[in-house]
Amino acid sequence: MFGLIQSSLATGTLISFEIYIQEGSVPDDLRPALEAAIGSASTDVLGQWAGPIEFTWTVVARGFGFRGGLPSTTSLVRGRIPDGCDRPTRERFLRSVGGEWRRLTGCAEDEVIVSARDWSWAG
Amino acid sequence: MPFYRCLIPEGSLTYDQRERIAVAITDVHCGLSTAPRSFVQVAFLNSSEGGEVADSHGSGVIRYDTPYFIAGGNRAGRSLETKSRILKGIIDRFVEIADIRRDLVSGTISEAPGSWTMEAGRILPDPGEEAEWLRQESVPA
Repeated sequence: MFGLIQSSLATGTLISFEIYIQEGSVPDDLRPALEAAIGSASTDVLGQWAGPIEFTWTVVARGFGFRGGLPSTTSLVRGRIPDGCDRPTRERFLRSVGGEWRRLTGCAEDEVIVSARDWSWAG
Repeated sequence: MPFYRCLIPEGSLTYDQRERIAVAITDVHCGLSTAPRSFVQVAFLNSSEGGEVADSHGSGVIRYDTPYFIAGGNRAGRSLETKSRILKGIIDRFVEIADIRRDLVSGTISEAPGSWTMEAGRILPDPGEEAEWLRQESVPA
C-alpha cells in the first residue's frame, strides 16, 4: 500500500500529527487518550506502517481563533502519513480519527477538521 | 480547509483588530474562491520577530523574517494568479487594520489536495468536483 519514505524511515517517524485546539475546548488531561485513539485508528486502518507517531499540540488562546470571522471552537487535527495511501483507505482513516475525536471530546461534527497528507507532499 | 495562521508579536493587536482581520481574511478568501465562509479558519499565534513555523499543508518549515507573517494553507488546484490575489488581498487588509507598514508583513500559501481533508464530516472535493460536491452536500454558508 505504501511506498518507501526514506526521510521518515531515517527518523523512525512514519506518521505525525500537528493538532490545533482552541483554549478551553479540549481538557489537557484528555490528550493521552486522544493520542492513543489516533494511534489505534492508525494501526487499524493503515496497518503495519502505522508507527511510531509524533504529536505536536498548539493551543490557540481565547480570543485568538476564528472561524468564518466568528470565535472558533474548532479543532484541527492535521496528519502526515506514508505516501501511497489510496483514496478509500485515506477516507476511512479520516473518518476513523474524526470519529474517535468526537467520541472522546464530545464535540459536534463541525468542530473537528481532520486531514492526512502524504509524507513527501511539499505543499 | 482554508487555514490562516497569523504570526504576530505578543500584545501587538487588540481583540477588535484580530476579529476585523479574521473577517477580512474570510471576505478575501471567499471572494476569490468557492469556499463557504464557515470553512475559513484563522488563528493568531504569538511569535518573536522572524523565525520559522511548521508548514501546515506541506512538509518541513516555513522561514520568515518579518514581525508579522501569514502562513496560509488552502485546497490545491487554484491558479498561481488566484493564489497571489488571495495573499495580496489578505496582506493589504491586514496592514490596513493593524495600522502597520507594509514591509512589516509577509506571507505564503501552501496547498494540499481537498480529498485529503474531512471537514464537518465531509471529505472535501478535489479540483473540478466542487459543483457536484456542493450540490450533494448541504454545506452551511
